[in-house]
Amino acid sequence: MSTPDQPTWRRRRRARSTLFAAGEPMIWLTGGALAICTVMVAGLLLLVLRQGLITFWPAPVVEITTPDGRVFMGEITRRESFRPAAEVVDRLPPAVREKARAELAASDGVAHRELVRTGNFRLTQSHFAWVSSFEVENRRRPPWALVLERLEWGRFYGFPQAFVEMHFLSGEGDPRQEARRLLDRLAGRGRQLRLVVRGSGRRLALAGVEHLDDATELAAVAEIDGGAQAAWEGFRRHHDAVRQRWRRRRALEKHDVGEVNHALERARLERRAAELERERAAARHGAGSAAYEAAQRAYEAAQRAYEAKRVEAEAELSRIRAEIERINGENRRLQLLMTTAGEGATPPQTVLVPLDQIVRAYPANQLSAGGKAGVYLARWGEFLLDEPREANSEGGVFPAIFGTVTMTLLMSLAVVPFGVLAALYLREYARAGAVISAVRIAINNLAGVPSIVFGVFGLGFFCYVVGASLDQLLFAASLPNPTYGKGGLLWASLTLALLTLPVVIVATEEAVAAVPSSMREGSYACGASKWQTIRRIVLPRAMPGIITGMVLAIARGAGEVAPLMLVGAVKLAPELPIDGIFPYVHPERSFMHLGFHIYDVGFQSQNSEAAKPMVFTTTLLLIAIIALLNLTTIWLRGRLRKRYAGSQF
Amino acid sequence: MFKTRFALPAAALAAALLALPAFAQVQADSRQVQVDSRLPHYRPASGVSGTIKSVGSDTLNNLMTLWAEKFKEFYPNVQVEIEGKGSSTAPPALISGASNFGPMSREMKQAEIDEFEKVFGYKPTPVHTAIDMLAVYVHKDNPIAHAGLSLPQVDAIFSSTRKGGYPTDVTTWGQLGLDGEWANLPISLYGRNSASGTYGFFKSKALFKGDFKDSVKEQPGSSSVVQGVASDRGGIGYSGIGYKTADVAAVPLARKDGESPVPPTPANVASYPLARFLYVYVNKKPGTDLDPLRREFVKLILSREGQEVVVKDGYLPVSYEIAKKTLASVGIDVDEAYR
Repeated sequence: MSTPDQPTWRRRRRARSTLFAAGEPMIWLTGGALAICTVMVAGLLLLVLRQGLITFWPAPVVEITTPDGRVFMGEITRRESFRPAAEVVDRLPPAVREKARAELAASDGVAHRELVRTGNFRLTQSHFAWVSSFEVENRRRPPWALVLERLEWGRFYGFPQAFVEMHFLSGEGDPRQEARRLLDRLAGRGRQLRLVVRGSGRRLALAGVEHLDDATELAAVAEIDGGAQAAWEGFRRHHDAVRQRWRRRRALEKHDVGEVNHALERARLERRAAELERERAAARHGAGSAAYEAAQRAYEAAQRAYEAKRVEAEAELSRIRAEIERINGENRRLQLLMTTAGEGATPPQTVLVPLDQIVRAYPANQLSAGGKAGVYLARWGEFLLDEPREANSEGGVFPAIFGTVTMTLLMSLAVVPFGVLAALYLREYARAGAVISAVRIAINNLAGVPSIVFGVFGLGFFCYVVGASLDQLLFAASLPNPTYGKGGLLWASLTLALLTLPVVIVATEEAVAAVPSSMREGSYACGASKWQTIRRIVLPRAMPGIITGMVLAIARGAGEVAPLMLVGAVKLAPELPIDGIFPYVHPERSFMHLGFHIYDVGFQSQNSEAAKPMVFTTTLLLIAIIALLNLTTIWLRGRLRKRYAGSQF
Repeated sequence: MFKTRFALPAAALAAALLALPAFAQVQADSRQVQVDSRLPHYRPASGVSGTIKSVGSDTLNNLMTLWAEKFKEFYPNVQVEIEGKGSSTAPPALISGASNFGPMSREMKQAEIDEFEKVFGYKPTPVHTAIDMLAVYVHKDNPIAHAGLSLPQVDAIFSSTRKGGYPTDVTTWGQLGLDGEWANLPISLYGRNSASGTYGFFKSKALFKGDFKDSVKEQPGSSSVVQGVASDRGGIGYSGIGYKTADVAAVPLARKDGESPVPPTPANVASYPLARFLYVYVNKKPGTDLDPLRREFVKLILSREGQEVVVKDGYLPVSYEIAKKTLASVGIDVDEAYR
């Protein structure tokens, strides 16, 4: 009725309808959905990146002293604030209590604490300790705090006291006489001399030369460069050579011994095979028959060959062992004398650390940015190229990287041809109907089956049925030890191939369907047969799509862990599935897998606090490897696309 | 400057070293766990080759790996495959021949022994390898870590059947005598999956063979129990003492109400109510010797070096007497074998 109102109302309504018509809200909705996805993915990646990348960066070493004289030295790994209850403060030693009360009153009851990685597990039975802010009396960064990363027992934090070069006694004759002769001979060299005695648990310790007459268990005479600077310089001078020798020892242990061993094992298996053959002959033709006699002769020959091989192997092994012993002896001569800062309530202790036990050492508080970067890169190098140590909590993950990549490649080799052939039949040859629809639905359902079910199937079918039969047929000699009748690389790859099959089939079908039928018709018109058309016209054009399917399959397969735990991924399997020992490829071997490694380090590791950052690093690595595999295939797809781009209509 | 610094520890050391027994005494008093010095050192033998295949306990998973690493130092030619998904996986693998060592964190049940006997005609042989104190962990700030708990209380916390005889169900920390912010905090339970020997041992000793509550969050590994408790203020869980971190506290336990609770420290191994042996089962036919691979591995486990590894993994080493008895049960004379 009031005329001015009506047009406004109408205008508003029109405006709203145009808003919908223009689709503005839909832009916001779709854009918002994408933004949330991006934020989630980016957030996850950033978390993994941040945690994974900083793990190896060397932190400064802090020495914290408490009012009641306890000392904590190590790297600060985490900080948090907390609200200590009254009785917690009451339980504190009197020296700390007052300070704590005052500090808590000032900060409204909130205190901070820091998790210090104190290392030195052998001495304290713990790797980490929490220190509350009110317990800190003095905090400094000692210039000579040295971080040792050791082969065993984790990290060591302490001060270098001296570089020790030992001259071991031969053990023949009177040790005291020999030590005296050594002392006389070394006296002219101008370095300090000490006696080395064997303490409890065979650990070596130093004693002054004046104790020569009353010392028991003399082991060696040592030359000493005293002082932190001299100790560090001695370490730097010798450590590379020591590590070189240590690596040589590892190579001997792995390759040389491995080869001798495999040769011996082959001879043993041949003998066992001959034995089985003889048993068969006896059962079939009876003992005393010609066939039995022949089998008996063959067995005797195999037995002789085995014996010869055994003697040879024994000699070879003792030669290698002597070489290892020589290297060890040479390495053990060089040691570092360290003192701890005194962990917690215990007083400082002095420890001799052999140089060959030290993977890496650095004075954390003296490192320049370049020095830190050096330590950082060296740690990454070790992580990527070395074998795991100390029940997987330290060292590298090379066997796991190798296992993951080989398994994924083997899986692709199995799944792609198989899936493409199946999809081609479905799309090109099969007549559409109820059966084909059912098959298609079944394939799609297969994609939704939990992966652990595939694992159970793989274990039951591949390992226990196929593998066990293979063992009966081909590897009877090594029974009852299963060769293929257990989890291994081959069975794991095939299981994952089954798991990823639907992805490849669906992708291939889509790609094949997308090839315009006009092209097929053109091909038929030229007189090409069905298969010729598929091979020359359809497949090349569908190739980029097929490769997309492969990318998806790889991404799915490489990240899968649950089924692998059943069919071959294990905690520790340092023997790689491909190596220099005949027949070079060992698809029956158990293998390590990065995904399983993450699970193992994350949930099973004894020192879980130190293992946590390793979980992120390993995750980062796994993501990087999958990305690399994918990028390779995408690059391949790009090339294929370019190749056929010109001939597209 | 270096003189003063260096002379001091060296002099102290020399004095300490020359009186070795006294030195050992000092160390035994500190937190350091000492391996029985009567245990012999390991000496490698000849003719050892093959594959160590171990399937079984997750508690022993790291220990087996560490022993195997040590074994490889002596015998680089030996191959190693180790799987640890729970003690219950050990007997089937041992029976089928898929493994030659079956680490278990509990004793084999009668049913499992029968199953083994049905196939081989004799019983499997347990090797006592280490001592674990199954610890009940709480968050590091939880005051109950000072007060301690009795086993019936633990039973009332974890179990729905309360066979320990505690009168009421316990669901909040206040019911255990905590006040302040803890009084109304609900107890959040962490435990192991049923394939685990730790689960079985805890059920029989702490729950008096009763049943777990449904609200126990079952974790796939010992370490994940500890991590769960570490990140949950109201959390409580059980795991081997070797898995302790700075983020959790181990609760002192008393066998009965009214007794004084005992913390799981090496000194209390005899009085702590949840101490247990960790076993490695082997298939040994009576009257025959073990093959060199298994014989030497068992010898290594029970040598000084092997027991040092036990300490490294946070467990307690066995004494000379136990080692001697165990070795005798697999046909090895301790004084002969290591010479």
